[in-house]
Amino acid sequence: MSDGPSRSSRDSARLLRRLLALSWRYRRECLTVFGFQVVLLALGIWGLSFSGIAIDVVRAALQPGTPGARWPLGLAPPASWSPRHELLAISALVLVMAATRALLNYSYSIAVGKLIHLKLVPELRTLVFDKLQRLSFRFFDENASGSIINRVTGDVQSVRSFVDGVLLQGAIMILSLVVYVTYMAHTHALLTLACLFLTPLLWFATSIFARWARPAYAKNRELVDEMVLAMSEGIHGIQVTKVFGREAFEYERFVEKNRAVRDQQRRIFINVSRFSPAVQFMTEVNIAVLLFYGGWLVAHHAMTLGDLIVFAGLLQQFSSQVASMAGIINTLQQSLIGAHRVFEVLDAPLGVETPAKPVALGKITGRIRFERVSFRYSEHAPEALYEVDLDVPAGRCVAIVGVTGAGKSTLLELIPRFHDPSSGRVLIDGVDVREFELDFLRRNIGLVFQESLLFKSSIADNIAFGHPHASREQIERAAKIAGAHSFIVSMERGYDTVLEEGAVNLSGGQRQRLAIARALILEPPILLLDDPTTAIDPETEHEVLEAMSSATTGRTTLVVANRLATLRRADHIVVLQGGEIVERGTHEELMRQRGLYYAAAALQAADPESIALLEGFRGTA
Amino acid sequence: MSLDKSKPRAGKDTQQPPLDFAVIRRVFAYTKSYARLRNTLILLVVTRSIQTPLVIWAIAAVISGPIARQDPHGTLLGVAGFLALAAFTEFCFIYRSRLALRLGEAVVHDLRNEIYAHLLALPMSFFKRTQIGRLIGRVTADVDAVRVGVQDVAFVSTVQGGNMLISALLMLYYDWKLFLVVLTMAPILRLMIGHFRVKLSEAYRQQSESFSRVTATLAESVNGIREIQGFVRQDVNGGLFGQLIYDHSKYNMSSARHSAVFLPLLEFNGQLFLAILLVVGGYQAIGHDVPLKALIQFLFLSNAFFSAIPTIGNQYNQALTAMAGAERVFALLDTTPDWKDAADAIALPPLDGKVEFREVSFGYLPGKTVLHEVSFAAEPGMTVALVGETGSGKSSIVNLAAKLYLPNSGAILLDGRDIRGVTSESLHKQIGSVTQDNFLFSGSVLENIRLGRPQASDEEVRAAAAALGVADLIEDLPGGFRAAVGEKGSGLSLGQRQVICFARAMLADPRILILDEATSSVDALTEARLQGALAKLLRGRTSFVVAHRLSTIRHADLVLVLAHGRVVERGSHRDLLAHGGRYASMYRQFVSSIDV
Repeated sequence: MSDGPSRSSRDSARLLRRLLALSWRYRRECLTVFGFQVVLLALGIWGLSFSGIAIDVVRAALQPGTPGARWPLGLAPPASWSPRHELLAISALVLVMAATRALLNYSYSIAVGKLIHLKLVPELRTLVFDKLQRLSFRFFDENASGSIINRVTGDVQSVRSFVDGVLLQGAIMILSLVVYVTYMAHTHALLTLACLFLTPLLWFATSIFARWARPAYAKNRELVDEMVLAMSEGIHGIQVTKVFGREAFEYERFVEKNRAVRDQQRRIFINVSRFSPAVQFMTEVNIAVLLFYGGWLVAHHAMTLGDLIVFAGLLQQFSSQVASMAGIINTLQQSLIGAHRVFEVLDAPLGVETPAKPVALGKITGRIRFERVSFRYSEHAPEALYEVDLDVPAGRCVAIVGVTGAGKSTLLELIPRFHDPSSGRVLIDGVDVREFELDFLRRNIGLVFQESLLFKSSIADNIAFGHPHASREQIERAAKIAGAHSFIVSMERGYDTVLEEGAVNLSGGQRQRLAIARALILEPPILLLDDPTTAIDPETEHEVLEAMSSATTGRTTLVVANRLATLRRADHIVVLQGGEIVERGTHEELMRQRGLYYAAAALQAADPESIALLEGFRGTA
Repeated sequence: MSLDKSKPRAGKDTQQPPLDFAVIRRVFAYTKSYARLRNTLILLVVTRSIQTPLVIWAIAAVISGPIARQDPHGTLLGVAGFLALAAFTEFCFIYRSRLALRLGEAVVHDLRNEIYAHLLALPMSFFKRTQIGRLIGRVTADVDAVRVGVQDVAFVSTVQGGNMLISALLMLYYDWKLFLVVLTMAPILRLMIGHFRVKLSEAYRQQSESFSRVTATLAESVNGIREIQGFVRQDVNGGLFGQLIYDHSKYNMSSARHSAVFLPLLEFNGQLFLAILLVVGGYQAIGHDVPLKALIQFLFLSNAFFSAIPTIGNQYNQALTAMAGAERVFALLDTTPDWKDAADAIALPPLDGKVEFREVSFGYLPGKTVLHEVSFAAEPGMTVALVGETGSGKSSIVNLAAKLYLPNSGAILLDGRDIRGVTSESLHKQIGSVTQDNFLFSGSVLENIRLGRPQASDEEVRAAAAALGVADLIEDLPGGFRAAVGEKGSGLSLGQRQVICFARAMLADPRILILDEATSSVDALTEARLQGALAKLLRGRTSFVVAHRLSTIRHADLVLVLAHGRVVERGSHRDLLAHGGRYASMYRQFVSSIDV
C-alpha cells in the first residue's frame, strides 16, 4: 500500500474519468437497476402515506370535527363506505403494495447481483489476470506476492464497488432525496424547509469526519502492520531469538508496537464515538422542529395528524439517506485506491512484444551471440550488464560464475526475451531475438531454474507443462533423457502421481530431474540452466549432474553454476563481476590465471594430500 | 495454477458450535483489570437500552397527546421534553461507544501481549510442528474477532435486547391484547431468519471455499510466473483461471439470490404486520376498545420492536465468529510447553568449552527416533565436523548442544555439567550460531550484528567485522553499517546476509560455535571470500560444523560420520581417508564428480 492520501487531485480526476468510462460499458445494466429503484421509491412513498390515512380515518370517525384523510391520486373511496371498510381497503392496499415491492426488490437485487457477480467482477478479473501473466518479471520482483494477488481479488472488488457503491448508490441517494423533498414540500413547503434547515450541517459534519478519518485509519493500518511484523519476525527468527537469548528484548519490542497501536486507537475512538450520536441528534432536532411546527399546523387545521406521522417517517428516511453519504464517500476513496492499483497492472507496458513482421525460421540450430549487450532494469538503475560479448557455437556448453547480483540470471533471461537489452543485440542463428515471433522463440528454449516450481498436478501434466497436448510417449521420452523415468515408474501411480504443494513428496534431485524433463518436452535446441544444483543436497546432486549431461548433449547450453562438478563439464567458462565478463576460458586456462575463478575452484577441489591418501588406500587394497 | 480443477473439499462440518459460556466467561475475565471502565460501560448500556425506546415513545406521545389534542402549549412542553431526552440519550451514546471501543482495544492489547509472551516461552519443538502463518493468524484475525465480540456484539446485542423488552413493556401497558397480535408475528420472523441464516451461511461457506481455490491458483501463478512465461502457458492458464473465476461468481450469485429473497421478505413481513395492525387496531379504535393514542404508539413502538430482531440475528452470527476466534486463541494459550528449565537450574559459569554427548537418543516426534545413543567428546577449542546424508541427524546434534531441544535419554555435558541443570538463558549467552537460513531482523545492519551482544558499541561492531576481514563488504553497502535491512533480509544478497550473520556470531564471542550449513546457500565466489572469515571465527572456540560439501571440512579436528542417527565413523579427515570406510567412499565419489 504505497499510495497514501498524498496522491494529487489531478490523479484522482484521471482515475475517476477512467472509472466512469469503465462503468459506461455497463450502462444498460445500470439503467435497469436504476429503473427498479425509481419504481420502488415511488411505491415506498405511496405506501408510507397509508398508515397516515388510516390514522386520519380513525380520528375522523372518533372526532367528527377533525379534517378527513387526504387520499392520494384521487383514490378516495365512495362516501357510502364505513370507516371500517375504508380501513380494510387500506390494509389490502398496504399488502398489495408490499407484495409488489417485495417482488421488485427481489428483481432489483438479482439485477445488481448479475451485473456485479456475473459480469463486472469476472470480466475485470480475467482482464487483470491475463495482463498480469504477461508482465515482465520485474513487476513480480518489485511487488510482494500478496499485493499482486490482491490486485486480482480485493482491488478488483474495490473497483467494482465504484459502480454499485458509488455510482448507483449515489444516484439512488440523490433521487431519493429529491423525491422525499418534493413529496414533503407538496404536503407542506414551509414545514419542509423548517425541518431540513439543519441538513447542510449534517453534510458538512460528514465530510469533515471522512476527511479526518482517512489519514487516521491509514496511520492505524501502518502501526498494525508494524506490530504484526514485529511478531512475525520474532516467530520466523525464533531459532536466532532463542540461541542469542533475545526473548526479553523481542518481547519488549512487540509490547512497544502493540502499545503504539492501542494509544493511537484511543484518539480515533474519541472522534468516532462523537460522529454517530451527533448525526442522530441532528435528526432528532429535525423531528423536534417537525413536532413543534407540525403540531401547531395540526392545531390550526392546516395539516392532518396522519400527514404529520407520514412526515415523521419520511424525515427519518431522509436522514438515513443523507447519512449514507459518508459511506459513499468512503467507498469512493477505496475504489480510487483500488483503481490505481488495477489500472497500474492494465496500463503497465508489456516491454517485450512480437514484431509486426517476425522472421520465419523453420528450425533453429542454436548458435547464440551477445554483441556488446548492456542492460539496466530502469533508467536510473545501475547497469546490470555492461557491454557483454559472448559467442556460443551451436551445441556447446558455456558456464557462468559470479557473486549473487553479478548479472548471471539476467544474462540468461535476455535470450528468451524476458527482458530486452538496453543496448547491443542478442542473436540466435544470426537473427536478433527481437525479430522472432515471441512464442516461437520461447518454444525453442528449454529452461530450468534454481528452484523449479512444480505445480499441484500429476507428474505427466507437469512434464507436459509447455506442451499440454504432448502424448504419453513424448512425456516418457523426455523423462528418460532427464533420468526421471525410473523413479517415476517406481511410484505407485507412476506418471499419474499427483504432486503435493511444493512437490514435497519428491527429493530435491527428483524435482530438478522433472524440471529438466519439462524443459526437454519440446526438444529445444537451446537449454538454459540457472544453477540447478544449488538448492539440492549433495547425495542427489550426482543424479542431477547425470541428467544434465544427457540433456545438454546436442543442445546449445548456458548454465549458471557454482559447483566445480558442473563447471568442469562446460566447454567454456565466463566469470561475471558487476555485469562485466572479467575472466573467460576453459577450466584449465582459468586455473592458470589464478584469479577469482581459481580461488573458488581451489576451495572446492580435492587437495592433493587427500587424493594421495585415497590413492594410497586404493593401492593397498 | 492447478492444472485441473480441484474439487471442493467435502466433509467440512457446516454446523456451527453453539455459544459456549465458558469461553465467554474467560474473555470477560480479561476486563477485570479495567473494572471501573467495564462497570461504567455496563451502567451506560442499561441506561441506553431504556433510553432508545423512550425516545420513540416520546415522539409518539407528543403526536398522540398534545398534537392530537391540538394543544400548542402542551406540544411545546412535549417537544422540549423530547429534545432534552434526545440530548441525554446521545450524550450517553457517545460514552457508550467510546468506552466499548476502548475496553475492546484494551482487552485485545493484553491478549496479544500474553500470546506473544507465551509463544516466546515455548520450546523449539512447538515451532517445528506448527505452521507459522497460523500463529500470525491467531494474533491478527482471531484476536480481531475477539475485539469485535467485546466492542460490538456484547453491547449492541444487550442494547437491542433491552430495546425489545422496553418496547414490549410499553406496548403491554398501552394495550395488552393488541400486543398479543404483535407477538404472533415474532415466531414467524424468528423462523424465517433462522431458515435464511442456515442457507446464507452455507452459501458463504461455498463462496469462501471457491474463493480460496481462486487465491491458491493465483498464488501459484504469481510464484510460477517464470515457468508460465518461459513455457508459453499464458493462454492455457488464462482459460483455466477464467473457468475458476466464473465458477466462483456462480457461488457469489447464489448467495446474492438468497439475500435477494430474504431482505424483501423481511420488509414484506413488516408491512404484513402493519396491515394487521391497521385492521385490528383501527376496528377496535373505532369501536372505542382501543384509544387512538395507543394505536399511534403501536405504529412507532412495534417498529422499534421488530427492527431489533434482524440486528440481534446479525450479532449472533458475529458472536459465533468471535467465539471461534477466542477458542483458537485460548487453545494456543493453553498449550503447555514440552519442557521447561528445571526449577533448580543454575546459571552456567563461564565455560572452557568441553562438550560431551553420553549415549544421547532423540526424536522430534514421539516414536520417531532420529539419534540413537550418540556419544562423543569435544575438547575445548576443537572443531568437530558432522558429515552425513540429509536426515542422518547432523542438525539434531547441534540443536541439542544448544539446548533448543532436550534429549529423550542420555546426557549432554558442558565442562562436565549436565545441561539439564543449567538455565537456557545462561547457556545461550555462551553459544553462537550461523545457519543456512541467515535470518535477519528488519532494521539496520548495525542492529543485526549487535544482536550478538546488545551492549556493544558501534566501534566494537566494526571491530568484529574487521577481525573477520569482511568490514569492506559491509562498508560497500549503501549506508555502510547503517544500511537498512528489509523484512526477512530483503535488500541484501544471500552473501551479504551471511557476512552479517558471521559478524553477529563474532561479536557475541561465544565459547561454543555452531555453523549449520553456514555457506551452502552462498555463491562460489563469495564462499571463497568467506573462507578466511570462517577460519578466524573458529579459532579458539569449540565449534560444530555441519556441511554438505566435503571440501570444507578437511581441517576439522574430529569428523563424525553419521548414518541414520548413529555415528558410524569417527576420526580426523586423514585417518578416515586412510581407513577406507564410508567417509573415504563418499570422498571418492566427490573427487570423481569434479574430476572429468
